[in-house]
Amino acid sequence: MANDLALSVKDLKTFFYTNKRCNKALNGVSFEIRKGKTLGVVGESGCGKSVTASSIMQLLPRLSRIEEGSITYHSERGDIRIDELERDGAEMRSIRGEEIAMIFQDPMTALNPVYSVGFQIGEALQYHTDLTKKQRGERVIELLTAMGIPSPGERAKQFPHNYSGGMRQRAMIAMAMSCNPKILIADEPTTALDVTIQAQIFNLMNKLKSENDTAIMLITHDMGVIAELADDVAVMYMGNIVEAGTVDDVLRRPQHPYTRALLDSIPILGRGRDQDIKSIRGATPDPYERPKGCQFAPRCDFATDACEVMPTEEAVTDTHRVMCHRYKEIFENA
Amino acid sequence: MLTFILRRILITIPMLLIISFLVYLGLELTPGDAVSHMISPDLTNTVTEEQMAAMRESLGLDKSFIERYWSWLTHIVQGDFGHSLSGGVAISTIVLDRLPATLELSIFALVFSTIIGCVLGLLSALKRGSATDSALTVVGMLGVSIPEFFFGLVAILIFALNLGWLPVGGRLLPSYDSYWDHFPNIILPGLVLSLMMTAGVMRYARSAMLDSLSREFIRTARAKGLPQWRIILYHAFRVALTPVVVLIGFRLPTLIGGSVIIEAVFQWPGIGLEFIGAVRGSDYPLVMSIALLSVLAVLLASLIVDVLTAMIDPRVRLG
Ligand SMILES: Nc1ncnc2c1ncn2[C@@H]1O[C@H](COP(=O)(O)OP(=O)(O)O)[C@@H](O)[C@H]1O
Ligand SMILES: [Mg+2]
Repeated sequence: MANDLALSVKDLKTFFYTNKRCNKALNGVSFEIRKGKTLGVVGESGCGKSVTASSIMQLLPRLSRIEEGSITYHSERGDIRIDELERDGAEMRSIRGEEIAMIFQDPMTALNPVYSVGFQIGEALQYHTDLTKKQRGERVIELLTAMGIPSPGERAKQFPHNYSGGMRQRAMIAMAMSCNPKILIADEPTTALDVTIQAQIFNLMNKLKSENDTAIMLITHDMGVIAELADDVAVMYMGNIVEAGTVDDVLRRPQHPYTRALLDSIPILGRGRDQDIKSIRGATPDPYERPKGCQFAPRCDFATDACEVMPTEEAVTDTHRVMCHRYKEIFENA
Repeated sequence: MLTFILRRILITIPMLLIISFLVYLGLELTPGDAVSHMISPDLTNTVTEEQMAAMRESLGLDKSFIERYWSWLTHIVQGDFGHSLSGGVAISTIVLDRLPATLELSIFALVFSTIIGCVLGLLSALKRGSATDSALTVVGMLGVSIPEFFFGLVAILIFALNLGWLPVGGRLLPSYDSYWDHFPNIILPGLVLSLMMTAGVMRYARSAMLDSLSREFIRTARAKGLPQWRIILYHAFRVALTPVVVLIGFRLPTLIGGSVIIEAVFQWPGIGLEFIGAVRGSDYPLVMSIALLSVLAVLLASLIVDVLTAMIDPRVRLG
């Protein structure tokens, strides 16, 4: 079991300290990424998805800190406790970009405007491989070709402003994949792109996953994307994973009221505009003034007094867990 | 890139024409003309109107304004700036004679303020909020707000008169034979002239650096696993450099203006000092030529800055 895992996160707590106030952005998050599989992390904006990704990469802003818990990268050399590495130390830097790579939401701003795309992809190779300058140039063109960028030789010499949004994201993926990482973290990689381009990017990621056996952590706020791409799902709400399991577990047998609400809010393709989409009642609470118990209680149709206490994670099946006091009753009623 | 430079030069030409016309017009509007200045005040009463008219005709002053402007312009284009009224030396000779001193001073100040300004700004940004940063900020504010001549006088008082480390002024030591022999002379005027610019560059470099450090491509660079120095120099600083170069370009005219004052304070025998002498002596042709040359220098500087920015920032080349 353990040796098919690429990464395990246990009880991770990452807090932000701004204006002397504490924002418990991640308040005990546990999950695993399986080798060569896609873990979809889904949740409304502000629930801690990006902070989870930054914690794994040790790219947190200065005013935030991993307070508790562990992040273990199961490398070929043995387990590495990422949370114990120095943030910008040599060991962390050699993992970043080489073994765990990341792509970001907005490809428009994620590339440096004054360097050619080829140069920026080559930089990763320069620091993580022994390739000569000439070999790096060849590898860059190979990568761009694999990403489906036409006339890659020309394109490598061009600057980000010569690229369209979709092409920039492809270039970002080329950069991330350049050293054949074991894990690719994609933080809302298509949110800034239009729908047809989205599909192309996802196809590309799926192809890379199967060809290179890369594990993917795909962050999104779109359940539809999860349904298409993920093997496993983690549903996040306000710093907790409220439900996790395989795609079948979570999408077919959702246990948590929040998961159901999210599922109810996806429009179904082909049903037209007038379908009954229920948006989730209310808004996410102020992260500095969080509810005491279950974070979702104020917006939940099933909340009772019991929900004033923080629920614990309970196993539904071997692969499926949920964080709700009342999931059994609710499930029976449904 | 070549077409960019050519286009940029073509834009400069009409600007030069307009400015030369304005300079000539300004001269035209000053009271009296060359003839009245050439006659010493004691003789004004004895010279007849006819003699004056004859002199005007011989100098071409009876022609229309436009004709005179045209002939002045065509001469200048050929490098003939006419003659100084006092002494009758060719203006081009005077300028060529004085230019090296001014260039030396300006280039010293430019290089110093660019390098030191950038280094201090970078340091300040990287150590944001620290004591170093606050100290540099205060120094920077003083630097941009205190006038140069004041700095110059204080510097002379302290380093030349009280401590006696450096010469009071002038450019050459009596025993001048190599550059290093007169290097001590340039230190004070050079530093004082560059002070304001250094402070400006520093403050600008700091904020440009803070801005570029907060951009998303920095996170991408970190996610690639690049070492810190490379992220700072290759990614953050390179992007911060564009606005800094533009600022230096904007400030170049103040460097040229400042050198007039500094040359006067330190008796630095450059064009600025000559200019002050010319203004005092109502040597209008000389004043006019120097003014025109300064404009040319400013335009040239902004041309160079534009080309530099285009080289640094690929996005500029599009426009
Ligand atoms: N740079 C930051 N400074 C302060 N607070 C932050 C920062 N980044 C994220 N947070 C806080 O952390 C919480 C989780 O944010 P995030 O992980 O970005 O959400 P998302 O799920 O939309 O990616 C939010 O409450 C947010 O306010
Ligand atoms: Mg996010």
